[in-house]
Amino acid sequence: MSTFTDRADAALADPLLKIAVERTAGTAEAKRAAAIAAFPDFEAARARAAAIKDHVIAHLGAYLEEFEANAVAAGACVHWASTADEACRIVVEICKTAGARTVARSKSMLGEEIGLPHALAEAGIRRIETDLAEHIIQLADERPSHIIWPAMHKTREEVSALFKARHRSPHEEETIAAMAESARRELRMQMLGADVGISGANFLVADTGAVCTVTNEGNAELSLVPPRVHIVTAGIEKIVPSMEHAVHMLRMLARSATGAALTQYTTFYAGPKRPGDRDGPEEMHIVLVDNGRTKMREEGLADMLRCIRCGACMNHCVVFRQIGGHAYGGTYPGPMGSVLTPALDGLKQSRDLPNACTLNGKCQEVCPVRIPLPTLLRGWRERSWREGLEPASTRAGLGLWAWVACRPALYRVATGVAMRAMRLLSRGGWIARLPLAGGWTRYRDMPKPAPRSFMAQYRKERRG
Amino acid sequence: MSAREAMLARLRGAHPDKAEADALLVAPDRRAVDEGALETEFLARIALPSVSATHDIIERLDELPVAVGRYLEQQGEPLTLCLPPDPRLSACDWSGFTLRESAAPEETAALAIARKGIAETGSLIFETSPHAPMLPNFLALHHIVLLAAGDIAPWLEDALLPGPQPRAHYWVTGVSGTTDIEGTYVRGAHGPRFLHVILLR
Repeated sequence: MSTFTDRADAALADPLLKIAVERTAGTAEAKRAAAIAAFPDFEAARARAAAIKDHVIAHLGAYLEEFEANAVAAGACVHWASTADEACRIVVEICKTAGARTVARSKSMLGEEIGLPHALAEAGIRRIETDLAEHIIQLADERPSHIIWPAMHKTREEVSALFKARHRSPHEEETIAAMAESARRELRMQMLGADVGISGANFLVADTGAVCTVTNEGNAELSLVPPRVHIVTAGIEKIVPSMEHAVHMLRMLARSATGAALTQYTTFYAGPKRPGDRDGPEEMHIVLVDNGRTKMREEGLADMLRCIRCGACMNHCVVFRQIGGHAYGGTYPGPMGSVLTPALDGLKQSRDLPNACTLNGKCQEVCPVRIPLPTLLRGWRERSWREGLEPASTRAGLGLWAWVACRPALYRVATGVAMRAMRLLSRGGWIARLPLAGGWTRYRDMPKPAPRSFMAQYRKERRG
Repeated sequence: MSAREAMLARLRGAHPDKAEADALLVAPDRRAVDEGALETEFLARIALPSVSATHDIIERLDELPVAVGRYLEQQGEPLTLCLPPDPRLSACDWSGFTLRESAAPEETAALAIARKGIAETGSLIFETSPHAPMLPNFLALHHIVLLAAGDIAPWLEDALLPGPQPRAHYWVTGVSGTTDIEGTYVRGAHGPRFLHVILLR
């Protein structure tokens, strides 16, 4: 398996990736800023959104039971899954019982998190991804690189080539509109012919038992209304107490994700088709997935369960904007991904992620539910240190530094020597190569140190 | 122990205080809406590029077929319409139209009655019922919506229904669109490319 450093290296060396990421994330950043400027008091709204989620997370068990009772009363079947594998088994079992050969899937990050695409493939069930971006990455056999724009890393030329190779009647004109039209032609009959529709949930409304999905394409509705069976896979943290609470969260979600006042299509599904209804599924199943969430709640990561998956943190992250989403290696990229991945996949495999952060605090500033992402990332760094996961060279280096730093006289001598050496290595005010800091100077130059150290200047000022 | 018991055992805690949950909704933060000029606010909102709906105004319900015909002709479309089995709509005179009860996979136009229009966002509010199938409103290229001017309400909170919920409750705030290729906006991703509101005063 490649390391984070290898993946980041590859991403930085890809000239197209940065352009592709910058185009979409830059637009998202500008649109969000305009939407928030037009909102009366976004700070108060953020505080309220955070308080709603905190209230839910504090009473999660009771709200889940309330949701379950209301969903069952509306005619849905509710399933519980502790792990990703268990959730996939439940979904595959429902599909098999329904005799399903094809499923239409409306984009869900939880589905990606639990490995549902793989589980369906193993069970021999054909999966039709209906979100345009998910369709693109399904054709390319890749994973999402962003939670809102999964195909953000693809340029129009790459999409065009994919569609020409794989669509039955592809676009002839090289425009984005013609490409979208080609996907529309390709997917429409497939959606209408699917045996099962699978979605995630943006919200689970406790007092009605309804499941809320939001899309701009309308693909959720086209994937979930025609098939005979609708399956929802949802993380247990998606609960809101009532429709009124959902309304507040929807206002925050749309503005933070795309800068819109509301997504084009916001739908609440409560159970299967009713007597006399002309359309809708005959069965509705809701799989409530834990997959580490109860553990996060118990082990200091309850704040992370506020996340509503808007993607604002990654759109504003200086690291994400340089390397894109795939370099992170997990289901979720960017700041929220760097907090979630160690919890989901283990800190040992992902300890580089919390370190790939400048702690500039931008993610926390834009988060609609005020998740203290930099604090949580620092928490992972500390834990990685405590658990001895940091490499021996880092531990030895920091140990040596701490030993010297506790002896001020020695520290001054050592820094004096180091500064003289660094000045000797510099050319024209910059150091191009520095022993022991090759990782830094490989991509950038280090500035030449000032002639005198801060402490020396300070002493001189006080004397002078 | 089942997954349900295992999860709930770890999540068990004090029962939520309804007053505490309600307190989180007092004076909600939302865009200002002039409650004295709801129709103007609503029409301005649906004309924004983010919603990009067109509109027409009629004074009586029996003018509806003429207004629908006018729109389809302007769009260069045939007088073909997917009409839900709603008695308010079937009472109109649709002579000259080819009507369909259920939508074809490539339906040109579908008509639906919105229960509410929301001035805050320009949203149109729908519910499913035996008289109101959902699929035609997502399959058709032109989504045509009848809305009574008196049903325009200021806030999204006004769209909510108390008590038992319909099978599906959906809010339409524009046309089907995507920004999935290079962040460039394209209309008519999977569903309607055009949204036309006929306001009944």
